[in-house]
Amino acid sequence: MKLVALIKKEFHRFFHDPRLVFTIILPGLLIFLIYNVIGSFVGTTEKYQYKVYVAGESSLTEVVKATVEASGSTVEFVPIGEEEGKAAVKDEKASALLVFSGNFDAAAEGGSVEIWYNGSAESSAFYNLASAVLRESAMRFSVTGHSFVTGQDLAKSFIANLLPFLVVTFVFSACMSVTLESVAGEKERGTLSTILATSVKRSHIALGKIIPLSCIAAIGAASSFLGVVFSLPKLIGADLGALGGYGFGSYALLLLLIMSYVPLIVSVIASVSTLSRSVKEASGYTSVVMILVMLISILSMFLTQLGDWVIAVPVLNAVVYMGKILGGELLVWQSLLAVGANLLYTALLVWLIAKMLSSERIMFGK
Amino acid sequence: MEDIFEPIVKAENLKKTFALSRKQQRVEKTQLTHKVAVNGLSFSAYRGEIYGLLGPNGAGKTTTLRILSTLIRPDEGDAYLMGHSVRKEPQKVRDCIGFLTSELKLEGFFTPDYLFDFFGAMHGVEKEVLAERKRELFSRFGIDAFSQVRVRDLSTGMKQKVSLVISIVHDPDVVIFDEPTNGLDVLTAKVVTDFLVELKRMGKSILLSTHIFSLVEKLCDRVGIIIDGKMIEDGPLADLCGGKSLEDKFFEIYYGLRGEVV
Repeated sequence: MKLVALIKKEFHRFFHDPRLVFTIILPGLLIFLIYNVIGSFVGTTEKYQYKVYVAGESSLTEVVKATVEASGSTVEFVPIGEEEGKAAVKDEKASALLVFSGNFDAAAEGGSVEIWYNGSAESSAFYNLASAVLRESAMRFSVTGHSFVTGQDLAKSFIANLLPFLVVTFVFSACMSVTLESVAGEKERGTLSTILATSVKRSHIALGKIIPLSCIAAIGAASSFLGVVFSLPKLIGADLGALGGYGFGSYALLLLLIMSYVPLIVSVIASVSTLSRSVKEASGYTSVVMILVMLISILSMFLTQLGDWVIAVPVLNAVVYMGKILGGELLVWQSLLAVGANLLYTALLVWLIAKMLSSERIMFGK
Repeated sequence: MEDIFEPIVKAENLKKTFALSRKQQRVEKTQLTHKVAVNGLSFSAYRGEIYGLLGPNGAGKTTTLRILSTLIRPDEGDAYLMGHSVRKEPQKVRDCIGFLTSELKLEGFFTPDYLFDFFGAMHGVEKEVLAERKRELFSRFGIDAFSQVRVRDLSTGMKQKVSLVISIVHDPDVVIFDEPTNGLDVLTAKVVTDFLVELKRMGKSILLSTHIFSLVEKLCDRVGIIIDGKMIEDGPLADLCGGKSLEDKFFEIYYGLRGEVV
């Protein structure tokens, strides 16, 4: 009953104040407007183990191999028929297909080399490298690139790279806007100590903050998320069909990842707010945490081949698995473990907040 | 049957020491790393009386009341409220006390009606009991007229009334009041003193801290003079003063302790 009253109070405080509702919805609207005007892409530089099919023969594969290895990646060339190779590349079973025209090395001129690649980051990286090498090494031949990349693939690639970062950032902003005022504000005004003087358990006070604030922050995050989604057509020229390309399982896992990340961030900010003496102080500390979170999520855009250990790393786990799901991989158990890890960290933070609420040094500055 | 001479509040050898930050050391011009706020404090308060803790600023009054209301723990000693130990049974102690200060600590966004229900729930008061208690207290203290107005839109006196009524939402036997009229204008201060008299009439035991002599003389049945964290004198007001005014008696004690002539 006491916990329910605490939760209802937070909801009452939020939903009966139009200004608060507006401030939580506003970021989504702003994002929609701003992203319709500007956009940017971020490239990736990563080390890969390429598997490249080769139709026809040429000693130039050795030049490509040397260049690839010099860049820190490795490549395995596998001879294959042209049509079979195209199908494999299209299905993303190989990084690329090199098609050399007949008697390529012996021909004085008029030969050609075609590079077939797909929309994966690995395939694009190989194409960029190989096309540059071949153009440099075989001036007398034509080098043609053929991509299996569709507009939808481009959109998916963009979404997989950037959306997790945006979601993480927007969720953080939403959590920050509601949590700082509710926790640090109450502490600063002394209204929290009025509640502490009642017989309600400290763990109930902590939960009575985290549960409703997470729900409210989730609304704010959803607003921002929708702002991004609906501005995509203008931002990259991709239509929303790209998002329709995911199955129910992908959406469910995405939702679970976001929903486990929201209470985690609310708990982090609530912990910082409980430690701080004022909203101003809490804002300062939270800004530092936000920069860290943004750095982690930006890094994850460059590091696409992280192991499953990221499951145990808060923030990074959400970004990485959201990216992978949006990239078309349905990593069910890894995503569920990441959700579990986030909920575990949240529970630990709730316990920590309850301890801090019991600390006279933290609550009363003695 | 309850023994009316059994103390409602019993503090036994309370001691509390705080670490001093560098900033506090600079402000207090001391090299000491710790400050003893309460030093072996013992006293008792009985049912239906108003007990006043009188002392200068920094004497340890607020620390003592915070220990009694379980907001902070004593380093040594213990205190019992309605027989419950502040060390071992803080939840039970909180159930039987109402704690408030002259600083208004209610969220301005909510109405008195909402806050009364909220704090009733915090104390685990049944809905039916709470509704009846709200009707009675709001009527008795004239809150009905503005019960649906947000606290931030109320006058200071109205806010203080709401704050006072909420502190007794769960019908506590003991009300602990830290500096009840500190910083209040005369009209609001009167609201508070009238409220305390009314509480006494309702049979509540009241423990208050103050440095205002007239307030003690007007309200308190018994008084404890606390200086430098120690209880110097404790007893019924008339006995303690011995025919002198409380102010004269206090300064006699205060300067006597410092070896100075009054």
